[in-house]
Amino acid sequence: MKKKIVSVILTAAMLATVLAGCGSNEAAPAADAPAAEAPATEAETPAAEAPAAEEAAPEEASGEAITLKWAIWDKDITPYWQAIKDNYEAANPNVTIEMTDLGSTDYMTVLATELSGSGSDFDVVTIKDVPGYATLVSKNTLEPLDSYISEAGIDLAQYGGVDKQVTVNGSLYELPFRNDFWVVFYNKDIFDAAGVDYPTNDMTFDEYDELARKVADPTFGAQVYGTHYHTWRSAVQLFGVLDGQHSILDGNYDFFKPYYEMVLKEEDDSICRNYADLSAEGLHYSAAFSGGDVAMLNMGSWYISTLIASLESGEYDSSLCGNWGLVKYPHAEGVEPGSTLGTITGLAVTSVSDQKDAAFDFVEWVSGAEGAKVMAETGNFPALMNDEVAGIISSLDGFPTDEASKEALSVSNLYLEVPYAEKVSEVNDVLDTYHKSIMNREVSIDDGIASMNEEVGKILGN
Amino acid sequence: MSSVNGNTETTKYRSKRKNQIIGKVLIYVILLFITACMIVPFLWMLSASIKSNREVFLMDPFVWIPDQPKWDNYIKIWTKIPLLKFVQNTVFLTIVVTILQLLTSSFAAYSFAKLEFKHKNTLFLAYIATIAMPWQVYMVPQFIMMRGMGLNDKLLAMICLQAFSAFGVFLMKQFYEGIPNDLCEAARIDGMSEYKIYAKIMLPLSKPALSTLTIFTFVNTWNDYLGPLIYLKTETKKTIQLGLKMFIGQYSAEYGLIMAGSVVSLIPVIIVFLCLQKYFVEGVASTGLKG
Amino acid sequence: MDENRMAKVERLKLESAELMRQIRAEDDIQKKQKLIAKRDSVQRKVTAISNNRRISRETKRDIVAYSFIAPNFIGFAVFTLIPIVFAFLLAFMDWDGSNAVTFAGLSNFKRLPGDTFFKAALKNTILYVLGTVPLTMIASLALAIVLNQKIRARGFFRTVAFFPYVASLVAITAVWSMIFHPSKGPVNYILLTVFGVPQNQLPKWFSGSLVLVTLILFSVWKYMGYYMVIYLVGLQGISGELYEAGSLDGANTWQKFCYITWPQLRSTTFFVVVMLTINCFKVYDIAVMLAGGGDGKLSTSATVLVYYIYQNAFNYWDLGYSSAIAMVLFVMVLIVTLIQFRYEKKLEA
Repeated sequence: MKKKIVSVILTAAMLATVLAGCGSNEAAPAADAPAAEAPATEAETPAAEAPAAEEAAPEEASGEAITLKWAIWDKDITPYWQAIKDNYEAANPNVTIEMTDLGSTDYMTVLATELSGSGSDFDVVTIKDVPGYATLVSKNTLEPLDSYISEAGIDLAQYGGVDKQVTVNGSLYELPFRNDFWVVFYNKDIFDAAGVDYPTNDMTFDEYDELARKVADPTFGAQVYGTHYHTWRSAVQLFGVLDGQHSILDGNYDFFKPYYEMVLKEEDDSICRNYADLSAEGLHYSAAFSGGDVAMLNMGSWYISTLIASLESGEYDSSLCGNWGLVKYPHAEGVEPGSTLGTITGLAVTSVSDQKDAAFDFVEWVSGAEGAKVMAETGNFPALMNDEVAGIISSLDGFPTDEASKEALSVSNLYLEVPYAEKVSEVNDVLDTYHKSIMNREVSIDDGIASMNEEVGKILGN
Repeated sequence: MSSVNGNTETTKYRSKRKNQIIGKVLIYVILLFITACMIVPFLWMLSASIKSNREVFLMDPFVWIPDQPKWDNYIKIWTKIPLLKFVQNTVFLTIVVTILQLLTSSFAAYSFAKLEFKHKNTLFLAYIATIAMPWQVYMVPQFIMMRGMGLNDKLLAMICLQAFSAFGVFLMKQFYEGIPNDLCEAARIDGMSEYKIYAKIMLPLSKPALSTLTIFTFVNTWNDYLGPLIYLKTETKKTIQLGLKMFIGQYSAEYGLIMAGSVVSLIPVIIVFLCLQKYFVEGVASTGLKG
Repeated sequence: MDENRMAKVERLKLESAELMRQIRAEDDIQKKQKLIAKRDSVQRKVTAISNNRRISRETKRDIVAYSFIAPNFIGFAVFTLIPIVFAFLLAFMDWDGSNAVTFAGLSNFKRLPGDTFFKAALKNTILYVLGTVPLTMIASLALAIVLNQKIRARGFFRTVAFFPYVASLVAITAVWSMIFHPSKGPVNYILLTVFGVPQNQLPKWFSGSLVLVTLILFSVWKYMGYYMVIYLVGLQGISGELYEAGSLDGANTWQKFCYITWPQLRSTTFFVVVMLTINCFKVYDIAVMLAGGGDGKLSTSATVLVYYIYQNAFNYWDLGYSSAIAMVLFVMVLIVTLIQFRYEKKLEA
């Protein structure tokens, strides 16, 4: 009897919650509407300018209707996919671009699954990172683009050499259309409150460390962190490759040591958030920076468009992080400032596509001047970077108005986070794993680096 | 003399009673402690789901219900991610899998338990042998095969994957074996076909076993993570577990929302469990699951 | 027609019996042999007729039986049996999922001993099993014994104990990672304020050597309700007379447990241990969700076999190697199950 009563009560409680859930569900579309409109309008602006690009329309523009299937990620929160599609379709009325959203979380893994085997019908795929690119190339799922490139007369020099870092045995399988580089974001309000000078475009690592310590406030409850390192290994390890003498594929990682020491020391002194905490809660860097208690954040330039858009939509509280700026990456002693890390995003044609020419035309367009303009107008950095593009971005609404922030966009040396190598995927995972172990303090820095050397040695040796 | 004797008797009795009372109290203390361990995380989940991000980790003072409960967490969660779509997918998947599982398992189990036929033992051995075989051992080849059949990124793949388990057949067979053969024999003499016997006699009798299997299948399908992770790629096809995990990845600091989403994801399983639980212990008992 | 045949068989049988009698009576060898041959042919006719009838009835019966089994068995064979065979073959191949398959012999297995991550995964998985199986067993048995007493709100307690089992993993791991948050969580807050653990020594539950402990604690918490139900069923199967007899002999509670409950629950315990072991060996999602952090990657302190199988298959597309690791997982489960079976058989004998 008792049991029954308890069950009935629990069921009733659950039912009530369900009903509450359903009720909220009805309210959902109304709340959704304004949010959904925002990206749409953003996408429309470039579309209006499309006719200008029409002259560049290729020969087959008048041909039969073509549908290209294109793999992308996070369609709803990334404005440029739609903008690219709209602009290209306006320039090529016979072509329809069909986007398939594979989500960003395991994008490259998912893509590899889609492309291996016979079931795939993608014509164009977006390449998110180099390890994934290496996998796809080794599985012969991508079409080598060399003949197309020479036929179209594309000058690869326009990509500033990054193409060489993804060339596989003399062939190129992707063309970059987006090129992000790492900068330091900072929260001006925090520096103002602490009475500390803003970071500059010319900081050595020591100066950067000192600044972070100056601006940090370890008072419990009103804690301010001088800087923030996201849990990616890139956020720490890649300080080491900026001197241009080391690469992530070296097989010897002793050069990581000073940077691990710096970051762990900062953790000990509560200058930055603890890695174990970050990892336990899986804290996203945007949540950290927008919380208003982080003075500096080293992050990719992709965060610029997110910051601008999220502040505008009210997603981020502008009283917490609205007053932001950016400066160039810190540099090692004796190296010129402006060296930074880059991540390219490219487009590739699949080897199973039965309309490779049309597919390549799309790839060429997106990675060329027209595509670059679309990218810049949505606040993103095209691979085809020049002063005009930098001008478009720095004059965007919401971009910091100070000179230093504009200047921060000029890059002198760009090193890819991960250049191509055959076993880059495995190397990447080894470095990830031991980064985790070192940051979690499961092993000492020396032991962790020794393990990296040993394990990567095994992979490269094979 | 006798009074002394009586006295010791009463003290003995008293101390025995005292022991019993102490025992009872001890049992309740242990029970309350365990119950607290079991239920506090759920209460925390409910509590955090109506708190703001700052209140969630506020320990001094800690309150279960904040002054201004943020009920709108439960509204926001539906717009931040396509939660409705996730719920729909999961409900569809779970219901189809559960029905298929119940039907095909009880069907096959009837045959194994009540009919004689060639290769019966061989066939049953095939089922038994795979019970101890973790799915994870063959998940990769299975995926490769399904991809070859064009089932990648299709909800149908998840249905094929989960609807035909050896476990269901085993469980139902154990139960049917507990039903006396005379019942079937009598029906056969009356001229009933095997299909009729199954539908009219066996099925109505197997409520406890079916409930047990429903709970297991429902819970497993609803809560499965690795299967959907491998098979379902497009966002519109994701299940609630994947969706929730994705949400946690994107909005890691939105504790209130994460907890609200978690509460939503728990409700259906808990309802199913509460509805069927009265059959559950009986079901486990009669299916001889205990070995 | 059936009756017709039955009559015919009867007639033939009689004839055969008559012939047999004649054979016995006959002295002449040659005549005897003729009779024997004649009887044999009659006998063959009988078998033929009755066989014929039996086959047709058997076939009918088989078809009905198979029609019951087919819906499940076809699905089961296609989606389970074939992949299992495939998995065994794949372990001896090299394949990246799209290029041609090549035979690799034992090379995939030879790589295992030198692979640091495999060894870490194996070690962690075994430690996890060794920790989780006995603890869950003890906890669920204890809980079942308590909940088998006549106490108030028994149904409520049972329901509550079962909650963690039905609750979805993503949701409850999210709660756990908040409750055990290294610097903000209530557990560490209590350690700090009540037990005075210094702030810099507060346990980091999700990293280092503690992470396995957290995984084990979590698993015990999640699964004890389920195994409790199985034990409850076992307990209800023990006859009350045994306990009454025990009481008459003056056995105390502990003695009753040792000499009545525990031996009576032997087959239940066998089942619980086998199921637990199998389930523990396939641990994956718990580890990824509790120890994976934002990117779901596991370091050597928390990596487990299934994670490494997944990693090799879907990140490196080294399908052969991934299957070889899967075989290790299978062999371990098999060994444990066989040992358990042996032990169970021995006790029964």
